[in-house]
Amino acid sequence: MQGFDLATPTTVDEAVALLAREGSLAIAGGTDLLPNIKHELFEPRTVVALGGIEELRGIELESDGTLSIGATTTLAHVAAHDEVRCRATALAQAASLVAGPQLRTMGTLGGNVLLDTRCQWYNQSYFWRQSLGFCLKKDGSVCHVIESGSKCVAAASNDTAAPLLTLDAELEFASNTGRRRLPIAELYKSDGVANLRKEPGELLVRVRIPALETGRERLGAYGKLRERGSIDFPLLGVAVRLDVVDDRIVHAALGAIALQARPLALQKAAAALIDAPASGPGFDDAVLACAAAAARQLHPVANVPGDAQWRKEMAPVYVRETVRAARAGTGPVHGR
Amino acid sequence: MGARDQHGVDAPWVDPARSSTNGADGFAVVGRRNRKIDGLSKATGAAVYADDIALPGMLHAKFVRSTKAHARIVSIDTSAALALPGVHAVITGKDLPINYGVIPWTPDEHALALEKVRFIGDEVAAVAAIDEETANRAIKLVKVEYEDLPAFLDPEEALANPTPQIHATPKKPERGNVSKHVLLEFGDVDGAFEGAAAVVAGEYSFHGTTHAAIEPHCAVAQCSPDGNLTLWSSTQITHYVHRALAHVLELPPARIRVIQPCIGGAFGGKSDPFGFEFCAAKLAQITGRPVKMLLTREEVFYLHRGRHPMQLAYRTAADADGKLRGVDAKILIDGGAYSSFGLVTTYYSGQLLGGPVHLPTYRFDSTRVFTNKPPCGPKRGHGSVQPRFAFEIQLDELAHELDLDPIELRRRNFQGEHVETVNGQRITSNGFLACLDEVERASGWKERRGKLPHGRGLGVAGSMYISGTNYPIYPNDMPQAGIQLKVDRSGLVTAFTGGNDIGQGSSSVVRDLVAEELGMDPADVRVVASDTDLCPVDLGAYSSRVTFMVGNATIDAARALRRRIVDAIAAEWEIDARRIFMGGGTVFDLEDRDRLVTTREAFQIAEARLDTLGSTGSYNTPTLGGDYRGGTIGASPAYSFTAHAVEVSVDEETGRLTVENCWIAHDCGRALNPMLVAGQMEGSAYMGLAEALFEVHDVNRFGLHSGPSLLDYRMATTVDTPELHALIVESLDPEGPYGAKEAGEGPLHPALPALSNAVFDAVGVRLRHLPFTPGNVLRELRAARATSQRERASC
Amino acid sequence: MASSIVELKVNGDTVEVAAPDHFTLLEVLRYRLGLTGSKQGCDKGDCGACTVLVDGEPVLACLTLARLAVGHEVTTIEGLMPAHLRAGGTGADPVQEAFDRCGALQCGFCQPGMMLSARALLDREPNPSRAAIKGALSGNLCRCTGYTQIIEAVETAIAASTERAPDGGSR
Ligand SMILES: Cc1cc2nc3c(=O)[nH]c(=O)nc-3n(C[C@H](O)[C@H](O)[C@H](O)COP(=O)(O)OP(=O)(O)OC[C@H]3O[C@@H](n4cnc5c(N)ncnc54)[C@H](O)[C@@H]3O)c2cc1C
Ligand code: SF4
Ligand code: FES
Ligand code: FES
Repeated sequence: MQGFDLATPTTVDEAVALLAREGSLAIAGGTDLLPNIKHELFEPRTVVALGGIEELRGIELESDGTLSIGATTTLAHVAAHDEVRCRATALAQAASLVAGPQLRTMGTLGGNVLLDTRCQWYNQSYFWRQSLGFCLKKDGSVCHVIESGSKCVAAASNDTAAPLLTLDAELEFASNTGRRRLPIAELYKSDGVANLRKEPGELLVRVRIPALETGRERLGAYGKLRERGSIDFPLLGVAVRLDVVDDRIVHAALGAIALQARPLALQKAAAALIDAPASGPGFDDAVLACAAAAARQLHPVANVPGDAQWRKEMAPVYVRETVRAARAGTGPVHGR
Repeated sequence: MGARDQHGVDAPWVDPARSSTNGADGFAVVGRRNRKIDGLSKATGAAVYADDIALPGMLHAKFVRSTKAHARIVSIDTSAALALPGVHAVITGKDLPINYGVIPWTPDEHALALEKVRFIGDEVAAVAAIDEETANRAIKLVKVEYEDLPAFLDPEEALANPTPQIHATPKKPERGNVSKHVLLEFGDVDGAFEGAAAVVAGEYSFHGTTHAAIEPHCAVAQCSPDGNLTLWSSTQITHYVHRALAHVLELPPARIRVIQPCIGGAFGGKSDPFGFEFCAAKLAQITGRPVKMLLTREEVFYLHRGRHPMQLAYRTAADADGKLRGVDAKILIDGGAYSSFGLVTTYYSGQLLGGPVHLPTYRFDSTRVFTNKPPCGPKRGHGSVQPRFAFEIQLDELAHELDLDPIELRRRNFQGEHVETVNGQRITSNGFLACLDEVERASGWKERRGKLPHGRGLGVAGSMYISGTNYPIYPNDMPQAGIQLKVDRSGLVTAFTGGNDIGQGSSSVVRDLVAEELGMDPADVRVVASDTDLCPVDLGAYSSRVTFMVGNATIDAARALRRRIVDAIAAEWEIDARRIFMGGGTVFDLEDRDRLVTTREAFQIAEARLDTLGSTGSYNTPTLGGDYRGGTIGASPAYSFTAHAVEVSVDEETGRLTVENCWIAHDCGRALNPMLVAGQMEGSAYMGLAEALFEVHDVNRFGLHSGPSLLDYRMATTVDTPELHALIVESLDPEGPYGAKEAGEGPLHPALPALSNAVFDAVGVRLRHLPFTPGNVLRELRAARATSQRERASC
Repeated sequence: MASSIVELKVNGDTVEVAAPDHFTLLEVLRYRLGLTGSKQGCDKGDCGACTVLVDGEPVLACLTLARLAVGHEVTTIEGLMPAHLRAGGTGADPVQEAFDRCGALQCGFCQPGMMLSARALLDREPNPSRAAIKGALSGNLCRCTGYTQIIEAVETAIAASTERAPDGGSR
C-alpha cells in the first residue's frame, strides 16, 4: 500500500481542520478506503481517523422520536440495535447483509453512506487498470460500460443508502466553515466519478431518521440480490417502506441501489402502492403494479461484476418480494 | 520393493489372543480417526508456511508483468528501476534464457519472457529490493516496449488461424496454434452405433475454473557462500522443482536443496515449476542475500494452471436394455498461453472414461489449442472432470430415453472387478456397485426420485479416478516413492519421505503406517517430509498418488525394519522369530506373555546386536497400460470409484439452484483414517459444486482477467455449501497399502453432472453448459419452455 | 511518510513496534512481531484468512491500520492457548482442540481466522444454532474442507464446553 500519514483527532473540530487540507481523506472502518488505496484509486497524503471522536458514535433516540445514528456506528451495531430494527427495519436488514461478518464489525454507517461507486473496470489494481488503458473515472478517458458514453455509470453499491432514502434520512455534516443538514435524497447525483454533493473537507457526523407521524404503523424490508449468501456486494438492492393506517397504505417509498451512480427513489412504483389496501386482493394487485412500474424504471448496465440481464429480470421479482416481506413483517429478501 | 510384491490388506499383527490394543479388524492404528500429525501446530498458529519464513537481510522481489495479451518485446529498460535506492537487482529473460516445462516434451516456458509475451500478466522482469514497497515502486519504473500481435482469446479462433503462432514451431508451421492433438479409437465405434436401439448426442461445455488455494504462492531462496542454493517453496512437487532449478540455473542438482514448508492448499495449482521460484533463486545468487517472492492474490490468477475450458461433443449408443455399445467424443480444449501439463490433459480428457461402466467401444478426438490467456493445467481431477460431466449427463439422457432408472442403467453396465477397460487399463478392486447402493439408500432415491414436488429433484452420477499413474513425467526406472526410517534409542522412529503433505494428511498416513507395522504409539513416530536434502525422492502430490505409493513404500520400509528387530529379539531370547509380537508399544513372546520389553528396549537390544538401525522402502508401479502411444497415461495401479446423489431445489423464477444435500459414496479401498478420507470427499464435492454454481475464471474482451480477486472469483462460503454426506466404501484393493486407494480427487467428478441430472429430475430441463449461474439457468429454462411450447403448437 | 512507535496490546502483552503509519495490523503482526499465525490470503478484505480479534470482535487485520488498534486488545491465534492455560485450562483452547479432533485442519491456512471467528461467536453466544455457526463463519473462505468438519468442530467445542459447565453456561 502506498504511504500516507495518519492523524487521529478526538473532536469534530480537529477532524474538520485536518480534512480541510488538500489530500486528506477520512477513514472510519477503512473497509472501502483501504482497498481503494491498495488499488491506487485513492492517493491520500493524510488519512484522518474518525474512531476517536465521541460525537460520531452511538445510537440515540431523541426526544421527538428521531433516531440519531453516529456516523462511525458499525453496521453490526446498526443491524442488531432494537430501536433501529423496530423504527427502521429496512435499514437494520440492509446493514445485516453488507459484506460478511468481519466487515460488518468494522464497517460503519457513515462509510457506507459515503461509499465510492463501484465498477468492474474500476475496482482493480493499478496493473490491471494500466493494462486496460484505464477509464474515465480514474486516470483514463473512456468508459468501458457505455462505450460511446461520456459519463461514468459506476454503481452506488452501498446497501444502506436505499433504506435511508425511503426513510427520508437527514445527514449532518461538519466542515471548517460550520455545520449543515442535508436530506439524503439531495446527497447523491448521477455522476459515477463523484456521486456525492459533498465537499471533500466535509465530515459526516450523524444520520437522523425522522420519527413517524403518530397513528401510523411503519413497515419496512430490504431485498438484496447477490450470487453468494455472504461477502458479495449487491447486484441489486431494494428497500421498501410502507406506512399503514387502518389497513391502508398511506405512504410508500422504494429505494434501489447497484444500478447506476445514484441510489434511486422509485416514485412511480411507490405511487402504485399509495392508497392501496394493506391486505387482501387489493394489496396483491397493487404489489404487482408496483413491481411492473419498478421494472420499467430499472435498467441495470454492465457496471458491477454480475449478469446484467439477470439483474434486470430480478428487479421486479425483488421489488415484489420485498414489498410483500415488508407487509408480512419478514425479510430481508435474500438468496432467492 | 519389487513392483509385484504385495503387502496384503490385513493388519500386520493380529494377536491370536486378541490383544486389547487391536480393533475388531485387527488394526491398532489404521482405520481410526487419528489426529493429524500437524493438527495442533496448525491450530495454534505455530505451523510455518513459506511466507512465514524471514531470514536476516532478506530482500523482496516482485514481477514486472505484461500489459499486453500477445506482443513482441522490443526493448526493456531497467535503468530507472536499478537507480531507485533500495533496489538490489533487476533481471529479465536474458538472465534466465533456458526454456523448461514440467512435461519434458513441451518445454515452452521461460522464467521470464524472452522475446514475446503471451497473455496479460505474463512475467517479463523481476526486481529485488529491500522491501516489498520499494520493489513495487521499482517495477513501475521498468520500461517495456512492445509490438502488438493479434491475440486469440477464443480457442476456435486460435484453431482456425494458424498464424500468428502463439508458440512458433519452425519445423512444423502447420501445427498452427494446436498444442496437442490426440485421436484414439478402441474397437469399432462406428459399427457399434449402427444398429443401436438408442443413441444420445449432445454438446456440452465446461468453463474455466481455478484452484484458488487460500495461500498465495511464495518462495524464499538463499545461497550459501559456497554456492549451495536452498529454496523454500509452496510447491506440491519438490522433486520437479529441484530438477527444473538445476536445469534452468545450470547448477548441479546436488548443489540445490528444495524444501516444501507447510502449504496452504494446492489442488494442482502448485504443481508446475514456476517463474517465481527461478527468479527468487537467481536473484539470491546475484545479490548474495536471501530473496522472498510472494505473489499477490491477483498474480495467482495469472499464474493459474487451472481447469481447462472444454467444448465437448458426445454421442453414446446403447441397446434397448440400456447396455452401452459405444461412445464417441470430440473435444476442443482451451489451453491458455503455455503447455504446462497440457499434453497429459489432452490424453486425460479421454483416457479416464473406461469405468465404472463398461464401454465396449470408444473413440475420442481431443485438441488442445493455445490462446492468449493465463495457462491452464492440472486442477483436482485433472482433465477428466470435464468429459465426466458430459458423459454422466449422457447416461442420464439415455436412461430417460429408455425409461430406465439412472442408477439401474449404471448397474447394468457395471464393468466388474479385475477387468480390463477397452483402452487397456487394468481395473483391480471396484466398489462402484456399493457406492451406488449407498447413495440410493442414503438419499431415499427409490421413494423420492421423480416423486418430489416440481422444482425439487435428485440426480446421480458416477466416476473413476487414478491412484497415481505409472507414467512418471520423465522416463526413468527408479522408484516413484522412497522412504527411509531412522530408529533412535529413545524409542523414536523418524520417517523421511519426499512425499508432499499439502494438507491432505500424507505425513499423518506415513506416521500411522509405521506405527501400525511396528506396534508403536503413533506419537513416537516423527515424519520429515519434502526436503530434497534429507528425504528420498517421491514424485510429489499429484495424480492422487501419495497415499497409495508413499503408503506402500512406508509399509515396505517398516517391514524391513520390523524383520530386523524381531530377528534380534528372537536371537536375544533364543526363540523362534514367529513367536515375537510387536504391539501396544511393547515386544513380547506370544507363548510367554510375561517375557516382554518396551519398543524402546527392543530398539536398544537390536542396535546392540546388529548395528545402527534404519531401513529403506520404495514403491514402483507394475508395468501397466495399453500398448499404444499414450497407453500409459491414465494407467494406474488402482482406481477409486465414486457415486454422488445430489438433491437440488430450482427456483424457476430466479434461476437459482440450491443444492440441499449431496451424498458422496466413495470407494477408497480402505479408509486408513476415515476422518481424513471424509475430509477429502467433502472438500472435493464442495469444490465441484462451487465450480458448477459460482466460479468463473475467464478473461474479458481485452484479454484481461475478468476478476482476479477472491471477491469476484466467487468461492462458496459456509452459507452457500450444502449439507455434504460422506459415505465411505471399502473395496480393499489387493495392491494398495492395506487395501487403500485414493480419495482426494475422484469425489469431485460426479458433483457437477449429478447436479445437472438433479435439475432434470426437478424441472425436466437439461443443463449442458456450465456454469449454472442463476442468469444462465434462467435463460436455459426459458429456452426449454419456448421449445416445448413450439413443439406443442406444432402437433 | 510518517513512522512512529506503536504501542499495541497483543495477546495480553504490551509491545512496542516501529511502523509506518500506513502499515496494516496484519503487516505489523506478521512482519514486525513475528506473529505469523495470522494469514494473508488476499490482503483486500475478501477471504477472512487474516481475521483477528480486537476487543473480542472478529476483524480483518489486512484492512485495519496498525495504529488504529492502539488502545484495544488484539488477540491472534497464538494467544488462544496461552489464555486458556492462564485461565486454568489444559492444552489448547477448546476451539483449537475441537478443530484438531474433527479433522477440520486440512492445509490449515484459513483456520487461524476461522477459529478466531468461531471463538468470538462462542464467547458471544455459548450455544448457537447450526445456522448461526454458518452465519458467523461466512466471512472466512476455506478451500479444502467443504466446511463440514469445521462446523462439526464448532459443534464439538460447544458440546465440550456445555459439558464442563452443566448449566449450559459459558466455558
Ligand atoms: C469484501 C468486501 C465486501 C463488501 N461488501 C459490501 C456490501 O455488500 N455492501 C456494501 O454496502 N458495502 C460493502 N463493502 C464495503 C464496505 O465494507 C462497507 O460499505 C462499509 O460500510 C464501509 O464503511 P467503512 O466505515 O469501512 O468506510 P471507510 O472505508 O472508512 O470509508 C468509506 C469512504 O467514506 C469516507 N468516510 C467514512 N466516514 C466518513 C465520515 N464520517 N465523514 C466523511 N467521510 C467519511 C471515507 O473517506 C471513504 O471515502 C464491502 C467491502 C469489502 C472489502
Ligand atoms: S462506468 Fe466503469 S468503466 Fe465507465 S467510467 Fe465509470 S468506472 Fe469507468
Ligand atoms: S487477507 Fe485479509 S481478508 Fe484476505
Ligand atoms: S483448511 Fe485449507 S483453506 Fe481451509
